[in-house]
Amino acid sequence: MASFPLVCNYEGDYGMKLLVVDTGDTMDAVADQAKRALVGVVVRRPRTGAVLRVSRHGEHSPLPRDLKVGDANFVQMEAIDIYQVDS
Amino acid sequence: MSPLNNSDWYDLARQTNWTPRYVPEQELFPPELSDPYGIPASEWAKFDEPYKVTYRDYVRTQREKDVGAYSVKSAVDRVAFYKSADPGWKALLQLHFGAIPFVEYGSVSAFARMTRFGRGPGMRNMASFGTLDEIRHTQIQMYFGYEFLSVDSAFDWAQKAPNTDNWVVVSERHTFDDVEHTRDAVSAAIMTNFSFEQGFTNLQFIALSADAKRNGDHSFSAMLQTVQSDEARHSQIGEPLLEIMISNGKTAEAQRLIDISFWRVWKQFSALSGVCMDYYAPLAKREHSLKEFVDEFVCQQFVRNLKALGLQKPWYWDEHFLPDVETFHHAQHIGMYLYRKTGWWNPVAGVGPAEREWLEKKYPGWNDTYGQVWDVITESILGGNLDKTEPALLPMLCNMTGLELSGVAGKKWNVKAHHVDLNGRRYHFGSAVDKWIFELEPARYRSHLSIVDRFVAGLMPQGPDGVYQYMGMAPEERGRCGQNYQWAEAFRNLKAA
Repeated sequence: MASFPLVCNYEGDYGMKLLVVDTGDTMDAVADQAKRALVGVVVRRPRTGAVLRVSRHGEHSPLPRDLKVGDANFVQMEAIDIYQVDS
Repeated sequence: MSPLNNSDWYDLARQTNWTPRYVPEQELFPPELSDPYGIPASEWAKFDEPYKVTYRDYVRTQREKDVGAYSVKSAVDRVAFYKSADPGWKALLQLHFGAIPFVEYGSVSAFARMTRFGRGPGMRNMASFGTLDEIRHTQIQMYFGYEFLSVDSAFDWAQKAPNTDNWVVVSERHTFDDVEHTRDAVSAAIMTNFSFEQGFTNLQFIALSADAKRNGDHSFSAMLQTVQSDEARHSQIGEPLLEIMISNGKTAEAQRLIDISFWRVWKQFSALSGVCMDYYAPLAKREHSLKEFVDEFVCQQFVRNLKALGLQKPWYWDEHFLPDVETFHHAQHIGMYLYRKTGWWNPVAGVGPAEREWLEKKYPGWNDTYGQVWDVITESILGGNLDKTEPALLPMLCNMTGLELSGVAGKKWNVKAHHVDLNGRRYHFGSAVDKWIFELEPARYRSHLSIVDRFVAGLMPQGPDGVYQYMGMAPEERGRCGQNYQWAEAFRNLKAA
């Protein structure tokens, strides 16, 4: 387990943020860290019933929710999109 | 015996080329410092500057300008003006005087290099006056900022800024080192005099001067006007250079220099002038929006100059530049407010009800985009959650501009990073143009670390204050909301009503 820097593009935000996570974090945990840091600061809470998903920046397919950062083949400072998907 | 007219002797007197006997031409004018385009000396001798001034006339005119600017300064109580000035105007002055003087000072050496290494005698002649101009610009702007030190320590940054690694300063240094200080005299002159000075200084110095006058800041207005009158003269170095480049088959090279430097300098002016015009300048006294000023000074005047030379608008004009005029500075302003502690000035939000109405009128759709972020910030303040107005996460910075990697917020969310992987390192860019510039000369840019890269690499002191310590910012120097959050109260009253 080690810290891993990602570049986070959170839905609705005006710009990207540095998000330092842990290689053992799942995509759900990554999304949750971003949500806790940004909701109420630059964006509103997710709409009711929506789930936050993570994808590589610019890709349309979300990564599996239980995929760990260490297993995602990310490079250091990989950019990810975090966005709402209705469940 | 009547004296000669200047036109009788001027052109002859400035013919200072000679055939060197003791060293080869290439040692006297090394191509990498002088002219790497291989244009013959006989062609450079044709450099003909449109505005010619003798040293005697120069000294007299500059003295008149200084007397005019400094006398306005002494005629009114500058400190009293500042104390009673609108917080937005204070923010504008704090930002200007921290961000600009050291760039002017850098230009002194840039012009001095053109004086030494320019191949055309007329170019060397004009550049020597340009060197003196930039000395004056540095001095007058440091002096005018200095007088406010008794009432506001933010103006210490007029002198302090270049001695720090503050993120704004790092961004400016990267831009102006690239454009002015690390290229041959010909390239630097085209980039500095044509793209930078002819393209953009009117935004900060003419448009702002008009705003200053309307805000009753006659001293600042006069100062800006005298600076810009020099720019109008020495920026003319660019056009004769371009004519020589074009007539010697170097059109593509000239176009590339303009394409690179126009974008680089645009990003700086968008963040500086754009935020000042559209957010800091008090609403009642604004003349135009950034978009309107850009349309007049850049899209009309500058493009006219380009076309007159037979050059084209930069390749990215329609797809990237024009949209950027309507978006980039809005995003940068949000960041400058949220991360205000990382700046030496006290930003105002500039998004009260009337201001938002103006922004929506000037930039249709603003409330659905950037306004959505300001809604969240406003609610945090009204709820007493001031800690929520300072993000816990660092912003990501573009590896070219050093500014926030930003885009469109809210309902039309659209933020794109463009990346390059080089030697095991990922570089991120806020636009396809910034990426294009990097890919033209990776060796030039690849070793630079943005402030965020330095944080990730562990190059900053540990602890919550580490970033500030790295940037040379003691607690009392860090920016605060210029209106102590009172701007948000108007929305509480609206809700109550």
